[in-house]
Parts: sequence; C-alpha cells; structure tokens
Amino acid sequence: MKDVVNIGFIGNPNCGKTTLFNAYTGARLKVANWPGVTVEKKEGSMQYHGHEFKLVDLPGIYSLTSYTMEEKVSREFILSDDADVIIDIADASALERNLYLTLQLIELGKPVVLALNMMDIVEERGMEIDMHRLPEMLGIPVVPVSARKKRGLDILMHAVAHHHHEEDNENVVLVHDHDDVEEQSQHRHDHHAEYAMVYSDLIEDKIDLVSDELRKRYPDMKNYRWHALKLLERDADIMEKYPVDMPDVLDRSYEKDIINQKYDFIEEIISEVVMNKSEKEERTDKVDAVLTHPFWGVPIFLGVMALVFALTFTIGDGIKGAIVEPAIEWCSNGILNVLTALHVNDVLTSLIIDGIVAGVGTILTFLPNIFILFLALAFLEDSGYMARVAYVMDGIMGRLGLSGRAFIPMLLGFGCTVPAVMASRTLEDPCDRRKTILITPFMSCSARLPIYVVFSQMFFGDKAMIAAYSMYILGIVVALVTAFVLKLMDKKESKNNLLIELPEYKAPNAYSIAIYVWEKVKDYVTRAGTVIFVASILMWVLLNCGPGGLADDMSQSFGAIVGSVLEPVFAPIGLGYWQIVVALLSGLAAKEVVVSSCGVLFGINNLNSDAGMDSMVAILAAMGFGAVNAYALMTFCLLYTPCTATLATIKRESGSWSWTIQAMIFQLAVAWVVTFIVYRIGMLFV
Amino acid sequence: MNLNDSNIHKTYRVVEVSGLELPVERRLEALGLTEGTSVTILNKKNRGAVIVKVRGTRFAVGQNIAAGIRIEEVAQG
Repeated sequence: MKDVVNIGFIGNPNCGKTTLFNAYTGARLKVANWPGVTVEKKEGSMQYHGHEFKLVDLPGIYSLTSYTMEEKVSREFILSDDADVIIDIADASALERNLYLTLQLIELGKPVVLALNMMDIVEERGMEIDMHRLPEMLGIPVVPVSARKKRGLDILMHAVAHHHHEEDNENVVLVHDHDDVEEQSQHRHDHHAEYAMVYSDLIEDKIDLVSDELRKRYPDMKNYRWHALKLLERDADIMEKYPVDMPDVLDRSYEKDIINQKYDFIEEIISEVVMNKSEKEERTDKVDAVLTHPFWGVPIFLGVMALVFALTFTIGDGIKGAIVEPAIEWCSNGILNVLTALHVNDVLTSLIIDGIVAGVGTILTFLPNIFILFLALAFLEDSGYMARVAYVMDGIMGRLGLSGRAFIPMLLGFGCTVPAVMASRTLEDPCDRRKTILITPFMSCSARLPIYVVFSQMFFGDKAMIAAYSMYILGIVVALVTAFVLKLMDKKESKNNLLIELPEYKAPNAYSIAIYVWEKVKDYVTRAGTVIFVASILMWVLLNCGPGGLADDMSQSFGAIVGSVLEPVFAPIGLGYWQIVVALLSGLAAKEVVVSSCGVLFGINNLNSDAGMDSMVAILAAMGFGAVNAYALMTFCLLYTPCTATLATIKRESGSWSWTIQAMIFQLAVAWVVTFIVYRIGMLFV
Repeated sequence: MNLNDSNIHKTYRVVEVSGLELPVERRLEALGLTEGTSVTILNKKNRGAVIVKVRGTRFAVGQNIAAGIRIEEVAQG
C-alpha cells in the first residue's frame, strides 16, 4: 500500500463540494490547471490517523461522458493510478439528479464513497432517506455529512480509509432483484461486487460480448465492463483508444438506452429510499417568484447592484477614515523618523518616502472598499442569486446576441477581470466565449475603484458617489453596445442556448465567504507588495533620472520625455498632460498604479486623504486640469487596455496572441473614442 | 406543443428533444431531460425562457432550447 492516499472529490455543480473540500483543507490550497487544458485543479492535503491523504478537487460535473473538458479531465483522473478512492458528494435534497453521476462513478470501478450533503435541508422539508437501503442498493458506503456545519467529516474520512483498506478483499455477493422488470433478468450475477446496476438483457448481452472481445484484444485493460459500455455509447475517446471490429454488436449508439435505464434505476432507488417526498411549495420557489419575476426581475437586479456599490463606497470609506488612514500615516511618519535618525542620504529617503510609501501606501488605503466589494460579491455568489441573474438578464442579453449566462463573467468582472475572463469558460460556444472575453474588461474591476474614489472626491464634492457610480453604468453600456455591434457584424444567426441550474437558496456560509474574501484581499495586498512596489520604484527612477543623470526637476526626467512625446495623442481627449500620460502608461501594470503613480508624480504622500487631495487639486488646477478632464480620465481608465495579468489570462483562454493583441488595440480604440465623446460633451457645459 | 408554449405551474411530459445542436442535446440527456421525463414549469417569461423543475432540480432554460423540447400535458390529479 502506498503511504499517501489520493482522494478525488467529485460531484454535481452546487452540491457543496467546494465547501466540503475547504472544510478539510482550509485555505491551504494549491491551485493550478490540469495539464494541457484550462480547467482548474485544486489540491490540498490532510492527516488522518497516521495516513497522509492528498485531496484533489475535481470539476463540478453532471456526467462522465467526454463531451466537455471538465468531464474528460475528471474521467481520466479517476481511471488513472493517481486516484485511490473517490468521494462522490451528492446534494441529498436533489438526490435523483445527483445519483446519475454516482452510478457512472461506480461503473468506473474505483472505490467510491458517497457523501450525502445538505441533509439539514432534507430534514427541514420533512423528508427522510433510508440510510440502510441506499448503500445496499448502490453497493457502496454512504455517509451523511453537512459541509456547512462541519458534521460527519471524521466519519467520512473513516469510511474512506476503511474502504481503501478493503479494496482488494473479495466482496460479499449481493443480488439485486428488479421487481418491476417484466422478464426476470438472465444477468442475476454478483454485480454488486463490481457495479451497481444491471441493464436490460439486450444491453447486458452486448456488454458480455464486447467484454470478451476486449479481454482478447487488450489483456491489460482494467475495467472491461466500463469500456464495453462506453463502446456501446460510441464514446469518441474510447473508440479511438480501443477500437474493436464488431459491427453486428455495435450496430448503433446505445447511449440513450443506457441513460434512460440508469434513470429508471435511480427512480427505483428513490421510490425505495426517500420517504415523505414533500410536494409543498418550497421557500426557494417563493423567493424566486419575486426575484425572477418576468417584469420586476431586472429592476430588482439593478437595485441589488446599486446597493452593493453604495455599501462599497460608504462603509468602505468609513473604515478607511477610522482605521486604515491613521495606521498608514503612522507608518509613514515612523519610517521617515527612522530614516532621519539614521541620517540616510536624501536620494534614498526620497525613493523610500516619495516612491515606495507614496505608491504602496496609497493603494493600501483602498483595502476597505475592496474588502466590502468582494464581501458583497461573495454573498451574491454563495446565496445562489448569481445563477438567477443569468435567467433575468437572458432576454436583454439575447437581443445582444449573447446567452444570459455570459452575464455571470461580466458580473464577476466587477471584482477582478482575471477570474471573470476565466469564468467565460463555462460558455459552450467558442464564439460566445471570445465575445464575452472581449467585453468583460469593460466591466469596472476593483482595481479601477481607487481611481474613481480619488478623482471623483477631488472634483465632484458631494456628487462624488454619483460620478463614481456612473462609471459602472458606462462600463456596462459600452460592453453591451460592443456586443450588439458585434452581433450586427456577425452574419450567422446567433443561438442563445441558456441552460443553467438554479441552486436552492441558502444562507451564505460564513466560512466559504471568509475564504473567498481572504483570497481576494490577500491577492490585493500581494499586488501592492509586488507589482505596485516595483512599479513605484520604477516610476521614481523614471521621474528622478534624466539623460543628464539625477534630475532635480521632474520635467527633465525620462518619464517626462516619454510623456511629452505621447501628449499630442491624448490632447484631444483632455488628457494631454505628460504626468497623466505617464500615469496611464504605468497603469498597464495594474490599474490602481495610475493612482499610486499620481502620488509619486505630484509628490503627494497620501493621495487618499483630505490634505493629499487638496494639494493635488491645487497642482492640477494650475495645469488647467479641471472636473471635465478628471471625468475624461476616469472614463479612459475604465475602458483602456486591461492590466498585464488580464492580458496574460486573455491569451491563455483564447490561445492566440494575435487575437489578444487585436482585443487590446480594440479596447484602446474604444477608450479613446468614448473618452473623446465624453470630453467634448463635457466641454460644452463648462 | 413545445416547452416555450407551456403554462406556469403546470406539469408536462417530454415527448421529444430535437432540432438542437448536438452538444446541447447531449447536455440535456445527461441532465435527465429525456423522453418521458416529467417537467414542472416554475416561472416563465413572455419570450419563452422558462424555469423548470426536472428530476428534483431547477433549471433556467433559454427560449431556443425550450423551443426544441416537445411536450404534452399530463392529466392532473
């Protein structure tokens, strides 16, 4: 026996798989992609009574065919030697649907333990599940758990360890009778030793014939029955890997028969195992009657988003003023005192205070806003509302040639564009996917938030929140208009294939949300410590060095020279100031760098404070940069080429550099044109 | 009749799934939306998108897919 037991976690989407996985591994995760494909692979490890368990979180899937990447990846992992035991997580409140995957897993031949999650919902509904009959009918251990309340976790792992030990033992012969089958099956063999269900005689006869042939041809094969089934289903992968020449037996695809018979067997299980199946209208349906209302659905959604942003700005600013700002002020003064006491030379002091502290410190002051925003997004996702938005927005999106499902990546784009672009994977149609990738960066991500906060507070006074909120609206409008124009250009009729599960509403789980928010906040702080740290130093160097060495005057620096060259391009859109140009260029590293760069460029230590803003406004006003310019700057920042991390993600997801570059140029052009319009209209009112 | 012509709060039986793209039909099959399955309409929009309950799970189904699912009414009670 190996020292490390590899355990695969698998289950339908929304079955609570990730919550359970997190309950075992905490946030100690290794996230990577499966080799060769853009499907996320999560790994964690734990100790259990002296065993080392390695847990692998497989993608959430409904079946194990080979039609999607997720399914292929999961199937290959389970068939490989890397998987010792499989934990199949099933949502007990939707047992019928979940057992379909379970039956397929059992057929794969690896030890499977079924974890019945969400038993609390089952009980709440007055249903009961016969925990003796279910394992008997399936032939595998079944353990009730509650991932959210962390119940049954030890027992589940105990079952896994136990099941793993017994892997090689001869199983007890169990014969399962099909009472309602008209003819008695000739296949009353000890099938529970190997698999859960027996198909009709027609299929079973064929399985026997194909298995015999496979045995002759491929003596090393591990699971003849499963491969025979797959050949009967005409599974492309298996037909290619293990061709057999049996035209009489494999005369057509038996896939539909096999699927239907599996569901028949599941119905049989459900009728025996589930007691008091309630028919009363459930809470979720009552909530849905309102939230997915044909007319009120869209206004409610807009209201929810308005609330999210209002909370982000008000609560976020509250925390900032009370805690974060004083803390950063204190740190900054402390560092300055230490440097003075140590008699560090002026250049180094300037680098540290004007470069690093100004840059990194400014970015950190936005942490409360970011925190609230991600908290709200996590809440929307975990409660089950996000999937409803796809349905609610489907009508509007359909007119723009996209599926309502494409709205989910767009919505995630309010948090961070990188995972949002990755979420476009869930769209089946490659055309839809590229379209979504192209427009998602227009959704205003959290890194752009600091720019709005600073510039709207500086120039729009008590209307600051409206100015900032208008950016989000503008982003959505530009994204939707782009989609519409693309639809008009696209000759072929777009097909809107929305098909998405709407999970049961549930009170969001504090632990899942904490992990989600922690990951994002950690990411933000890490960026402040890495990309923004480096960018701040670079900015300082570029702005303090010139062709003649160390420049006393910033306007003699390399930065000024580059900025001045590009000034004419930005003049028509109201941004023809070399400092602004340099700030925008630096924003390619990460959008919030625009703000930290402004701090460095204008020599302001904490731009996100009243004093900082006052002096910044004074400097800008002297340059002739007013409210309209500020609004133009916000618009440009909203729309122009996304940060390098996003570009790298777009490249990875689209698999094409040329397309990525085209997308980048397109976004730049859109930004310029829209900002031009906004600036010119704005100038009419001044 | 097809799923997009259904009425809210009623239960139907799937007669045939046809005319959809192959991957979509495959997915419907895997979700258990096969011939003979009963579906309950929970919510519906004018243009034909529906929320249905199939084998214990709710799904939002867009109008195009809904138009490809032929159904018949199930005698109530």
